[in-house]
Amino acid sequence: MLEQLGQDPNVAVYCTSALHHPQSTGSRHFIVIDALSIGTSNVLGVGKSCLLLQFTDKRFQPVHDLTIGVEFGARMITIDGKQIKLQIWDTAGQESFRSITRSYYRGAAGALLVYDITRRDTFNHLTTWLEDARQHSNSNMVIMLIGNKSDLEARREVKKEEGEAFAREHGLIFMETSAKTAANVEEAFINTAKEIYQKIQDGVFDINNEANGIKIGPQHSPANQNMPSGGGGGNQGGNCC
Amino acid sequence: MFSKQRTWLSGALWKPKNPHSLEHLKYLHNLLCKNQQVTEQNRSLLVETLRSISEILIWGDQNDSSVFDFFLEKNMLSFFLRYLQQRCGRYICVQLLQTLNILFENIRNETSLYYLLSNNHVNSIIVHKFDFSDEEVMAYYISFLKTLSLKLNKHTIHFFYNEHTNDFALYTEAIKFFNHSEAMVRIAVRTITLNVFRVDDKAMLRYIRDRTAAPYFSNLVWFIGNHILDLDLCVRHDMDHRSRDRLSDLVAEHLDHLHYLNDILCIGLDTLNLVLIHHLLNNLFIPLYVYSLTKRKKFDDPQDDRKHVSSVVSLFLLSQVFLIMHHRQLTQQLAEVIFHGDIFLTQTEGMQNSPKAGIREFRAPAESLEKTLENNRPKKRHIQTAPPSVGQEDGAVGETEEGSSTFYLTREEHTDTVSSPSTEGALSPISEVCSADTELSSPTQNSTDEEKLIGLSHRMAIPSGMPDHPLPFTLENRPYLETIFNALECMENDYSALFALCLLYAIGHNEGISQTLLDGVMMPTERSKSKDNYNILLVERLIRIIEQACQSGSKVRLATLEVSIKLLKQLVVREHRSYLQDRHLACIENARECSTQRLRNFYKSEEIFLDMFEDEYREMKNRPLNVEYLMQDASILLPPTGTPLTGIDFNKRLPCGEVERTRKAIRVFFSVRELSLCLMNETEAQLPLTKEDNCIKVNDVLDLNNSDLIACTVLMRESRRQERRFLVIDPMQLILVEPDSKRLGWGVVRFVGFLQDVEVSGDKDDSRLLHVVVHKPSSSIHSRSHPILSARFIFDDHIRCMAAKQRLLKGRQRARLQKMQAIERLLDIPPAPDGTRSRSIPIPGRSHPVRPTSSSSSTTSSPVSTQSQGRGSRRISAEQKRHLQAKAAQRSKSRQVMGPSMGTGLRSGVSPARDGVEMGEEATSAMAVQSLNQNISSNNSSGSERMSGSSRSSGRLVSAGSRGNQGDEARLEIPLEDLSTSSKQHRSLSFERARLARLAREAGVRTNHGHHQAVHHTLMMRSHSLSPHRSRQETSSLMSRKDPRRQSAPQTLATSFKAPSILQTILSQSGSDRRPQITCSGSSSDDSPDSGRARSWSGGAPKTLLPASAPSLSLMDSIGHSRRSISAAMLLPPERTTVVRRCEEEEEEETSRSTTLEVGSGDQGKSTDSALSSDETGPSSSDITPSSETSLSDLALGSEIRPSASTRDRSTSSQLTQLAQLVQEHYAYSCY
Repeated sequence: MLEQLGQDPNVAVYCTSALHHPQSTGSRHFIVIDALSIGTSNVLGVGKSCLLLQFTDKRFQPVHDLTIGVEFGARMITIDGKQIKLQIWDTAGQESFRSITRSYYRGAAGALLVYDITRRDTFNHLTTWLEDARQHSNSNMVIMLIGNKSDLEARREVKKEEGEAFAREHGLIFMETSAKTAANVEEAFINTAKEIYQKIQDGVFDINNEANGIKIGPQHSPANQNMPSGGGGGNQGGNCC
Repeated sequence: MFSKQRTWLSGALWKPKNPHSLEHLKYLHNLLCKNQQVTEQNRSLLVETLRSISEILIWGDQNDSSVFDFFLEKNMLSFFLRYLQQRCGRYICVQLLQTLNILFENIRNETSLYYLLSNNHVNSIIVHKFDFSDEEVMAYYISFLKTLSLKLNKHTIHFFYNEHTNDFALYTEAIKFFNHSEAMVRIAVRTITLNVFRVDDKAMLRYIRDRTAAPYFSNLVWFIGNHILDLDLCVRHDMDHRSRDRLSDLVAEHLDHLHYLNDILCIGLDTLNLVLIHHLLNNLFIPLYVYSLTKRKKFDDPQDDRKHVSSVVSLFLLSQVFLIMHHRQLTQQLAEVIFHGDIFLTQTEGMQNSPKAGIREFRAPAESLEKTLENNRPKKRHIQTAPPSVGQEDGAVGETEEGSSTFYLTREEHTDTVSSPSTEGALSPISEVCSADTELSSPTQNSTDEEKLIGLSHRMAIPSGMPDHPLPFTLENRPYLETIFNALECMENDYSALFALCLLYAIGHNEGISQTLLDGVMMPTERSKSKDNYNILLVERLIRIIEQACQSGSKVRLATLEVSIKLLKQLVVREHRSYLQDRHLACIENARECSTQRLRNFYKSEEIFLDMFEDEYREMKNRPLNVEYLMQDASILLPPTGTPLTGIDFNKRLPCGEVERTRKAIRVFFSVRELSLCLMNETEAQLPLTKEDNCIKVNDVLDLNNSDLIACTVLMRESRRQERRFLVIDPMQLILVEPDSKRLGWGVVRFVGFLQDVEVSGDKDDSRLLHVVVHKPSSSIHSRSHPILSARFIFDDHIRCMAAKQRLLKGRQRARLQKMQAIERLLDIPPAPDGTRSRSIPIPGRSHPVRPTSSSSSTTSSPVSTQSQGRGSRRISAEQKRHLQAKAAQRSKSRQVMGPSMGTGLRSGVSPARDGVEMGEEATSAMAVQSLNQNISSNNSSGSERMSGSSRSSGRLVSAGSRGNQGDEARLEIPLEDLSTSSKQHRSLSFERARLARLAREAGVRTNHGHHQAVHHTLMMRSHSLSPHRSRQETSSLMSRKDPRRQSAPQTLATSFKAPSILQTILSQSGSDRRPQITCSGSSSDDSPDSGRARSWSGGAPKTLLPASAPSLSLMDSIGHSRRSISAAMLLPPERTTVVRRCEEEEEEETSRSTTLEVGSGDQGKSTDSALSSDETGPSSSDITPSSETSLSDLALGSEIRPSASTRDRSTSSQLTQLAQLVQEHYAYSCY
């Protein structure tokens, strides 16, 4: 996955978000949300696993000569003062098994549908992905459309307007991000979580029904809360300060 | 935090500036060396170190290979393992797992990967006992395994699977979590197993099959089964739809399982599949699903405490199984049990002690998977034989220890019992084959399976579907199939019927089930070459459902109707050709008439009706029912409800309120109409109401010379764009054009919208301004919100503005009116004669009211003419097969017969052509009257007011009879069709009468055609297609006369033909034995129910064709307009003729073409003169005289006689002309 030659990482973002990250506040119970990242698979990647790593573990700084991604990541975030643990599962590599795709869609409350703005084919595939997602998933599933690699403006093949139009047409949230510069990565995931949280508040998602990809998380001891690596990877990101 | 660590460290070690470098890795290695023990203090440091290592390694993999060399050289993975073994808690574990995840996921250099895997550290990490109660550890752990499984291939597999120690930690550790409480974990486990199975490594696969397959699959099956029990519980206790969410989760979960199992089967590992299929069938599908079918039926034993689900649930689950799984061996065996019953069960019931009795049972595995795997875990190689073989699966494991051959033997033994114990002998060769071939290549398996089946069917005397010796189909000894068939009866509701339909549909669509097996129960599918042998019992039940759906207050939901239609098509339609017997076709036609009738009751000339009508059509076309999706919906598992508050889709529940009832009536109408057209191989000509092809589209260039153009400025509401356009109003569309720069007076279309969707309003401040909104023809009812145009039109002055407004309003009105009229034509609603409605006035550009009315009426209401067409083709084909040799000779003979008769037809057609058209009509109507007259003459008490009624009823009688007749014919010629005992009685009653009537009709065609040659009409389409069949029918009747059994029928006719009241004779002959009151009754009110009953072959609820106003009115109308209708009919699409011709054989082409004309004109006359069912009376019954003579004389005397016959025809008909006029007057009176 040879990715773009981007600018230097924008580390400021992490500092602020690290400050925002609550260590342990309020009620111990938190909501666990399972979400998926979908899009053309990793081999000619659209960078979704990099996005995922970007979001879940801030200690990995985007560097121009390094491309790292993960297939699973979890992170604590706070929305309206409520602790929410966002677990994101990458669906890459499992497309050949219908049962797996099906199950994944059904078990998730949200999905990040990622395409690469420098490759039109990944954008053209969106319809298929979306159809798949809509068919198998719970109708309430929140889908965020992400145009990744926004730092490669020069090689852009898909206009931002096109992405916006597609999202509007299909009722998705839209954002352009860059795993390289970390632009909008935080926002993309948090907005998705917000939307899901809103649906929980509205009673659209039943928090007691785990099949939707939402559940009440177990109580964590404060000691553990202080040193999660993956789950609270954000609080390790303060090394830039 | 890190910065603090750095300061703390800075004194001790030199830290390189560049985090991505070999130096940094060396530095980190040093750190690890110094901190080999995890403590409170160094924990954070270690975590960060581990994380950095993964980062550097990936960087190295991508940029600098020396980094990796160093890592391997220092064996840094062993540090990882050591940390794990210190049980240092979650913190380190999670970091380690993440690091490993990142390593294995991002490394692209294959050598690096091999090095990483080479020293077995990874396997040690896999078997490490993490704290799996911590969900985060669990998630990272299973993701790690999944990442590894994605790296599996022929080469890497050896790092995970150790052939010598028979150790495969990655797989065995993963499957332990197959029933983990977290869905995501379960999914990951399934992914891992699939990824493992996909690797083509024989030794590994053998290991999996021998050691793990049986325990894993038996546990999996038990897990699935328990889900099913939960599901059943949920259905039983939730009549109020309260826990729909939970139910839908359970259903989805079941689907997930089925898809997973199917994915395994699809990988195509035959040996593994055998084990899986064995467990699935014997421990789940058969004992839990199939056995439950007959629960609460007579087979139910109260003492039987075996676990089961309700039969509705089992129907639902089985349909899912057949919809998803297509594996040959699995579905074949399962279908076999369903079709033929499980002899094993019935025989061994009561002998619970017998060793085999326990084989098919849904029960818990002897021990948990984890335990089995622990026991299996090879410390030494021979320990595994130790586990006592409790139950079958463990037995299998034990036996396969030495070599795989014994395993197959045990398997085959099971198959044996699966099929039938009596077939043991037949199966022995297979076992040999199997045991000889250890790898059990699939071709061998296939062939043996086939053998087995054939052997089976012979032994069990099950109809093997060989077309030559079909055995009667009964439901005896088929308890499961019987349940399914019984479920099709919608007594109170269609709750279980829907599932039974879906199940049968799924079985028919399942590629895994051999056609031989399906032929055994006479279920033809797409794969069958011919569909002559369909299961009458089943088809009749389907027709019942369709009929029920067409009745008011029906409990049949739309989905049920649509699936029955699908299933019916699957059974009888092949490549646009219908094999449906005529009596069945007649029922469908009847249902279609009912649905039309019912929709007529809902018809309102309100705007909303049109919108609904078009919306429903769009909905039906855009979202056709998909059975697989339908069966994914848990909401249908609960008893049908009527309230939309449940959120259940409209087609999956009963209608609620008047609007929904109207919608349903519309949908039923569309569906049944479509079915009927399909069965008759006709294309839809009247729907949709808007033909896209005829519409003007954007960017078209139009010649607008001499058109009315109004210039205006269009101001878009949203974009605020302002454009100068010319407004053109077409009959259907609103068009905005821009002048074409190239041609003067031409314009380029910039916008089009349907006038019917236009909303116009003036502006109170500006008299030159109009607000125009064009709504989108919505694809669903809920999305009407987005208009395709919302703008202000600014005109030059207020006069132009007013003109535009008026035209838009009028145009909208007219466009809608036109469509309403199209609907009326579809529904045979006559334009009101009193002129109260504006639509009774003919509108320019609109085709004449009569034309469509008559044409559609002949489709909807004259089953006689249409069905004979369908039947002609069908029967002939059967005949041709049967008399392949004899055919040629007979055909030539029949051609002789045909030729002259045609000649006369033509000649007689020309000579009275003085006033061809007029004459034609009158003659036909005269014939209509003849029978009527006779009927009435026999019943002197009937007054003239009743005439129309009685004529109609007698027409019905004849048509009903003729339908029965076809059944009879079919029985005589194709004995296999007479397999359903239930309908036998009904049919035999109507046979004789029907046969006569059919001959009568044939003859009627003959007589008529002579006179109406000049008449050309839309109906031609139908009659065209009729003709070839007709002519062949004669061939067949010739042939059939050779059959001594059939001699009687023509003879009867021959004697009766000269009698003046032939209809009377026929009716009394045929009808007296059963329903004499029909024959003599002349009153329409008495007759209609009777005739209705006569029509419905099954003797079920009488079909009310009641609201008689429509027929009589349309009849009236058609008399008035008949001439115009004729002229309007010239717009006949010519391609119809070619369609027809395709069915003909070349040798007969000439003949049939000329008949085409004749018959066409005959029918034409019929339908112009009387629009509805009453018209059959005329041609079909009254013409018996000449025609039977013709055909008889063909037989007895040869062709010389024919001219005289036709002379007679002519004179008769001219006499009848006057009678016809008389009757028309009566009709007219009775109408007003």
